[in-house]
Amino acid sequence: MGQVLALAVSAVLLAGFYASMAYGLGLIYGVLRVVNLAHGGMIMASAYLSWVLFTKFSIDPYLAIPIVMVVFFFVGVAMYKGLVRFLPRGAAGGVQSLLLLFGVWLVIRNLAYLLFTGDDQAVRTSYSTASIPIFGNHYSVNRVAVFVISLVAVALLQLWLSKTYTGKAVRGVTENPDSSTLVGIDVERVYAITFGVGTALAGLAGVLASTLFAFNPSFGSGELLKSFVIIVLGGLGSVIGIAVGALVLGFAEIFAIYVVPSYLTAAVGFVLLVVVLVVRPGGLFGSKVLR
Amino acid sequence: MHLPVWASRRALIVFVVAFAVLYLAPFVVSLGDYLHNLAGLAFMFMAAGLAWNWLGGYVGQISFGHAAMFGTGGFTSARLAVTFGLPFWATWLIGGMVAGVYALLWGHPTLRLRGPYFSIATIGVGEATRLVATYWTDFTGGSSGLSLPIDTGPTKFELYWYGLYLLAAVVAMSYWLRKSRIGLGLLAIKEDVEAASDVGVNPSFYQDLVLFLSGTVVGVCGGFYASYQAFIDPLDMFSFERSISFVLIGVIGGIGTILGPAMGAIVFIVIQEFLLASYPQLYLGLYGVLLIVVILFEPLGLSGLIMRLGRRLGIKPSPYAAAGGLSPASSPDAPDAPDPPGPPGPPTASVGASGHEQDGGRA
Repeated sequence: MGQVLALAVSAVLLAGFYASMAYGLGLIYGVLRVVNLAHGGMIMASAYLSWVLFTKFSIDPYLAIPIVMVVFFFVGVAMYKGLVRFLPRGAAGGVQSLLLLFGVWLVIRNLAYLLFTGDDQAVRTSYSTASIPIFGNHYSVNRVAVFVISLVAVALLQLWLSKTYTGKAVRGVTENPDSSTLVGIDVERVYAITFGVGTALAGLAGVLASTLFAFNPSFGSGELLKSFVIIVLGGLGSVIGIAVGALVLGFAEIFAIYVVPSYLTAAVGFVLLVVVLVVRPGGLFGSKVLR
Repeated sequence: MHLPVWASRRALIVFVVAFAVLYLAPFVVSLGDYLHNLAGLAFMFMAAGLAWNWLGGYVGQISFGHAAMFGTGGFTSARLAVTFGLPFWATWLIGGMVAGVYALLWGHPTLRLRGPYFSIATIGVGEATRLVATYWTDFTGGSSGLSLPIDTGPTKFELYWYGLYLLAAVVAMSYWLRKSRIGLGLLAIKEDVEAASDVGVNPSFYQDLVLFLSGTVVGVCGGFYASYQAFIDPLDMFSFERSISFVLIGVIGGIGTILGPAMGAIVFIVIQEFLLASYPQLYLGLYGVLLIVVILFEPLGLSGLIMRLGRRLGIKPSPYAAAGGLSPASSPDAPDAPDPPGPPGPPTASVGASGHEQDGGRA
């Protein structure tokens, strides 16, 4: 029983990280209807930035988070203004946005290879090996910190969306871009800001990932897939949805280690995705069919 | 001879002439072994690109995981050659079939998804297949890969003609898929899947059919590649880079057209063999930049450029050529309008827009 509890806590901790990862992708998709295939690449780039800040400037990764998020916010806005803005909106733009952002991802990967070589890197702080007891079992400090930070980030994001003018504008544009224009919202500006925030969230996820995992320039495709699985599982509508999706995935992965050889745990997310889609084409929460 | 209603006599003549020219070319013109063999490989990439394009261009579902079928076909055929000593063409066919069935297995449930959802799922398929294959050492030889027995298959020189046969078959199938009723059905599905099923086009069946054919052909190409290289390993055959190459060939050449993937394959081979020999560390970035440039400036790739050129010279594209393209809601003009609808022009925010395009406006 203690074993199950330990695994359950691990799953919850992991889910926190996954939720922060998925939120960035979900926000951009929800508002712009664009699947940011470069999301995984952004996470990887942010992990490298965190690593550089740590090894070259001795900045603790958790303290670096605000810096990284600001940087990535501007990167996201630049990407929108420079590239994404030109894509056709709506269903017609789907394939093109996929391919464009995929191209961006390739470029980011190549840059990372050139700058950092293909070797694995990790951020190891003085407390990386320390652990905290929870309910009698010990968990890595990093995992707990990541979980807490993810919670805080998601809570702040929800506050932003519901209480601030810009946040409400974002929600308005999600509902109906045309009506939003009629009431005086600058839709293009909202799009740019959303892309920026989504990318900043990817930046957050990357810093968190750098403390948890080893990474190299190929890092990110698994994370992209998992973010996507979470969105399908939980729907785009709310924090709750993404949280639930993240929990489902987290639990599935942790408990799958018992059933499936270790190298296949990465495939768990995909299998889960297919199963859910076969059983409920609208996703677990969706009322709309996925399109 | 009676051709089916949708086949044009002119196309058949062009096809036969082109085939004859390519078949006889090495006897007439001496290309040198290196270029000759490379041409054979190019035929294979053209075939693979065309097959990818059936799913990506005709049906509108972009697959980032076609390496899964390429590798499955390649390893099945290599295994058959190594363990059972079957003749190469048999191994290719069986390998292709296995790949096609595998495609159906993961594809049938996944094709319910549209657009980006499907595409991301294919990334997962590709990666999962690669993981399994790398660890299934009995079948694939793990990281050490599989070597084919020497002297049992055709030489690289002979593979030129086998590649040509493969390409001819695939081109013929591409033409058939596009022009026949099946092609119309696919076009309908691409534009609006619900409307299509309302008028009696069964999306599930058509998509499964295309996926199966696409997977089988790519599997055969995998077998071809195994025979060509005489050595394959799962890290290369199932890699994400391999999947990317199929996407690139299709997109850069011209998604939805027949000539497109053929040109894309040539571009791809040229880049791989000549540019990358000098700058091997840049290939990902180069592909990425190419993709970005194509999407922003000419979504129909090289075929789009040619069509633009043709329009400037006064040649109007046929409605079929124009209808192949990236975006579903691409031609607001009805197909029976007097002028054939132009291919979707560049994005309306007019990056790189030039004067001549008709209104290929989109939402």
